[in-house]
Amino acid sequence: MAGSPLETTSSKGKLLAFFAQVPLLGWLFGALTAVLAEQFLGSQLVDLLGLPKIPVLFGCMIVLKKPLLVPGTLAYVLCIYLLPLAIVARMAAPWWNKIAGYLYRLSPSVAVIVHLVLMYAILHIWSGISAYRLLTVKLTMIAVMVTLSLNVINGYMGEFSCSHPGFLALGAYTASVFTLLFFANDKIFGTALLPASLGPFLFPLALILGGLVAALGALAIAVPSFRTRGDYLAIISLAFMFIVKSMIENLEIVGGPRGLSSQPNYVNLPTVFIWTVLCVWIINNFVRSTVGKALNAVRDDEMAADAMTVNTRRTKVVAFLFAAFWAGIAGGLFAHVLRYVNPSTFGIQKLAEVLAMVYFGGLNSVYGSVVGAVSLSMLSEALRPLELFKWIIIPLLLILVMIFRPTGLIAFTEFDVKGLIRPKGKE
Amino acid sequence: MKKSSIIVVTLLAVALIVSPSVWAKQKLIKIGINAPLTGDIPKVGEGTKYAAQMWLEDIKAAGGLEVGGKKYPVELVIEDNESKAESAVKANTKMITEDEVLAIVGPQASKQAVPAGDVANNYKTPMISPWSTNPDTTKNRPYVFRGCFLDPFQGPVLANFITKEFGFSKAAVLYDVASDYPKGLAEFFKQAWEKIHGPGSVVAFESFTTKDADFSSQLTKIIRSGAQVLFVPQYYNEVALIVQQAHELGWNKPIVGSDSWGSAETVKLCGKDCYGLFFSTHYAAAGATGATKAFIDRYKKKYGYVPDDVAALTWDSLRIVQQAIQSCGKITGNIEKDRLCVRDALAKIKEFDGITGKMTFTEDGDPIKCAVIVKISDKGEYEFYKSVCP
Repeated sequence: MAGSPLETTSSKGKLLAFFAQVPLLGWLFGALTAVLAEQFLGSQLVDLLGLPKIPVLFGCMIVLKKPLLVPGTLAYVLCIYLLPLAIVARMAAPWWNKIAGYLYRLSPSVAVIVHLVLMYAILHIWSGISAYRLLTVKLTMIAVMVTLSLNVINGYMGEFSCSHPGFLALGAYTASVFTLLFFANDKIFGTALLPASLGPFLFPLALILGGLVAALGALAIAVPSFRTRGDYLAIISLAFMFIVKSMIENLEIVGGPRGLSSQPNYVNLPTVFIWTVLCVWIINNFVRSTVGKALNAVRDDEMAADAMTVNTRRTKVVAFLFAAFWAGIAGGLFAHVLRYVNPSTFGIQKLAEVLAMVYFGGLNSVYGSVVGAVSLSMLSEALRPLELFKWIIIPLLLILVMIFRPTGLIAFTEFDVKGLIRPKGKE
Repeated sequence: MKKSSIIVVTLLAVALIVSPSVWAKQKLIKIGINAPLTGDIPKVGEGTKYAAQMWLEDIKAAGGLEVGGKKYPVELVIEDNESKAESAVKANTKMITEDEVLAIVGPQASKQAVPAGDVANNYKTPMISPWSTNPDTTKNRPYVFRGCFLDPFQGPVLANFITKEFGFSKAAVLYDVASDYPKGLAEFFKQAWEKIHGPGSVVAFESFTTKDADFSSQLTKIIRSGAQVLFVPQYYNEVALIVQQAHELGWNKPIVGSDSWGSAETVKLCGKDCYGLFFSTHYAAAGATGATKAFIDRYKKKYGYVPDDVAALTWDSLRIVQQAIQSCGKITGNIEKDRLCVRDALAKIKEFDGITGKMTFTEDGDPIKCAVIVKISDKGEYEFYKSVCP
């Protein structure tokens, strides 16, 4: 009988082995071909297949709204994405391996930069097709930053912190106040204090300021709460989140519950991309450094870590502030993508969203955070046409992940950049 | 590999045969609906959706929307904004750039309408928010309109009404400090009241936070303050709790509400406690006549309950959009041109005869229209009591 369990596993294994020799560089070039194909041939193919428009998120929305268009959408996804990806990546794998090897020997940092440039080019072309895609990509990258920073606390440090929406709010409001005060004419802060042309250059400063304020807020939790462990930190941090929210609601100077709007439009794709790469790179280095290892030691057994000369208190505070800093930066970006912030955005719902991304993707893992944030953000967009049922499917998915992989999809894995860009297969 | 390539070829063949016949390209008028179908206020989303579907039925029954002597098929694109600001922005961006809607109706609550209005204005797409009362929604946004009156108008209307009707001079206010609409309206009411009765005439100005369920400490303070009337500008779920707890604590003076009471749920949750109370709103269901009655009867027959003000305002907004499209004269097929034309037509609408009253748009995209004072009857119906015009 064809399709017996044994046979399927072996054919799956074969397929995996068949593609295992393709280096990351190959996949990236495959994806680049795919997005270029979409840009130049997409609309013709759409006409040919009778689709209304280029499918935005791999056709999920079209399929869910108009089941009659399933074959056309499948054919589109196959022609535009899967075929170029498979052909370019697999067929030319030996060449990609050669190029990857050459780049790697030249200097790993050059290789990394080449990969990043390719990645940006792919995102740029892909999101250039529609403004909706662009918005989704931006918000997804911000979600990656938030998830990663929370993973430092909940995964690497092993504490359960609920204050992330509070840090996001602090960053969002600080950055918004900074840009509105200096570079925009609005009704709360009056005319701009500095020429608007300076804005984009000083915007990173606004973000960093937002991050620092968030870190300051984190210090306010860290001092009293790190005397305690476990549930107590969860409660204190939850309280912090509510304090920040009510504080902003009662601060008329920043608009109270009405929120702040009309932030200048500084956050384009390169800005978000650069900050996300920076965030992933720095956090990855942080968790792989001695502080990161000390953090893991504290998580596993604080007493033992203390006995092994780890300054546990300092380690915990540093990690907590560090995570809050990145959450603040993500908050600042978020406020400038939406160009509107109000306190009710940063409530329990946001917390649930971020926690879901962390635990879905996997604890103690940079990979996991990226996977969790990207998959949940994309899923919640792709399932949009289902309305109420979306909120049944996504939690169900989370429960399934918790049953079959209790620590998340890709937990406790090191994110080894060098291993990633290395040529694959026989050397 | 062979088997999979056969599947691929078959799929492609099927796609090519099936699809084009389904999607013959034609000029289609698409209207976007941005509604909170899930999240905090699902009832609002439901009313929006039902009203929109009723409107679509009418258009379909007429064989399409007639513009310049030609009938065009109409399609509704209904998107869920989850009652979140970011989701409302995403939904608007999607409808404008992906679905290429001609105009958008929604979002309802101001916290979604303010950021979503920014998107609509940036992409030069006309948008009408039927229910958002925050001035920022339409301010400096030529493409954004609204279907209801504003808070700065509603506050004084209520203050005047209470003064004239009961002759009271001391009022108390209980509102949600964390929510944009109640807080704004509470402040406008306080200003108006103190303008009439002098500073300090609002003897208690008490607040709570969203999702609070126990109001006894605030209500005790209000009762002790010697206020003669209590103003509660809250949504339906909180109104029931506040009114019931006030009565339990011994408050027997009038309680007055705002247009957020207008949901069918208010009386359902509140029961007898709410009978005899007044609130200001956009229209009164009980004792309605003419087109308003026809709409209410039809809605009730179809969905089993009396439509609330959100449904009525959504209905009016859609009819306004319809009129604007028709007065445009023709659909060119160039979406940017058509959107501009619809916007200009919207701004020119005068004396539109809606089921929630006559409307004329000002330069800012806000309508000039009358407020209605409603009394909740002994049967739990919303009875017309008085009409107050600017």
